[in-house]
Amino acid sequence: MDVSINGPKVLFTLPFFGGIDVSQSVVSSWVVLALVTVFCLWLTHDMSVTNPSKRQIAAEKLVLMVKELVENNMGQNWQHFAPLVATILAYSFCSSALSITGLRSPTADFSVTLAMALITFSLIQLYHLKSKGVFGFFKRFVEPVPVMLPMNIIGEVSLPASMSLRHFGNITSGTVITALVYGALAAFSRLVLGWIPNTFIANIPIFQVGIPAVLSVYFDMFSSAIQAYIFCMLTMANVASAAE
Amino acid sequence: MKYLDFFTIDVWTIIFTWANMLILLTIIKKLLFKPVTKVLQQRDEEVKKMYAQANEANEKAASLEKEYNEKMAQAREEAGEIIKQATVSAQKREEEIIASAQQQADIMTKRAETEIAQERKKAYQNIRDEISDISVAIAGKMVQREINAKDHEALIRRFIENVGEEK
Repeated sequence: MDVSINGPKVLFTLPFFGGIDVSQSVVSSWVVLALVTVFCLWLTHDMSVTNPSKRQIAAEKLVLMVKELVENNMGQNWQHFAPLVATILAYSFCSSALSITGLRSPTADFSVTLAMALITFSLIQLYHLKSKGVFGFFKRFVEPVPVMLPMNIIGEVSLPASMSLRHFGNITSGTVITALVYGALAAFSRLVLGWIPNTFIANIPIFQVGIPAVLSVYFDMFSSAIQAYIFCMLTMANVASAAE
Repeated sequence: MKYLDFFTIDVWTIIFTWANMLILLTIIKKLLFKPVTKVLQQRDEEVKKMYAQANEANEKAASLEKEYNEKMAQAREEAGEIIKQATVSAQKREEEIIASAQQQADIMTKRAETEIAQERKKAYQNIRDEISDISVAIAGKMVQREINAKDHEALIRRFIENVGEEK
């Protein structure tokens, strides 16, 4: 039994620009998009003002929770930011939790988490520019003294780097550990059942039943939720402080 | 089978991710936030409208109660007035009845008295006549002769009158 841990598989190549590799990460993201679309449609179909169903109450609660989160972390006049925060939350959580279905998590691909962190980074720079003007935007790199310039640049760049690496590392480690545990459980099953002469029975990986589910609760559900939350909190806090 | 590196920066994956997140943002905005916000807003308006209606109803009820109380007080006053008037007129009527009864009783008593007096007079007359007749008869018998009734009548009458006065 060999356990191999690979990068995302390239599922097909689009014939533009000398071949665009479409990897598992991208296709899994499409699955996430489809799931979220269906979920939203299901949540919000036939809503009523006076007699809300349980489903509608859940939808309203969800929206209000995100709005409250944004309001608490960014302030009253940031309500327009709620959909973006909800997008990051939904994309991050659903992508990470997708490993439950056996598909590869898009967030276990550094390119994906980097893309997300770059969105946050761009927003931070945009709001710096908006609140301080062009002069102030560049001036903050040489504050308090011009010697601090390299430090300031590192500080600016370290945020997206740390955000993307944290998210990637957490989800990937979960994937890797799950793969290792599967391999180990298969080997253990073979050890226990190996004396049976029938090769079919001897190869049934009995210990793979149940035990990985416990790990999945942590790595797929808990870790996914925490990472999505952390990513959103960092985005909100940094964008809000950039706008000050 | 081709694999991307385990840890790599793939530009096309980044671009795809941006596109995906943009699409997801649109989906969440249009399919979740927009309808839910709309419903919440409508509900807010409805609640405000209901509060306004409730306030209006309350004010109306208060004014109706005031009106009712005023009318009740007025009615009570009127009832008191009517009872007072009735009492006064009843008293007056009572007095009238008593007065008229008294008057009638007086009249009747007077009439009875005159009648009694007349009867008595008549009885005297009768008795006087009879006595005079009897006296004449007795005197006639005593003197053994016919007394001229007419001659003595004046004498007898004086006697009887004296008797009547002495009585």
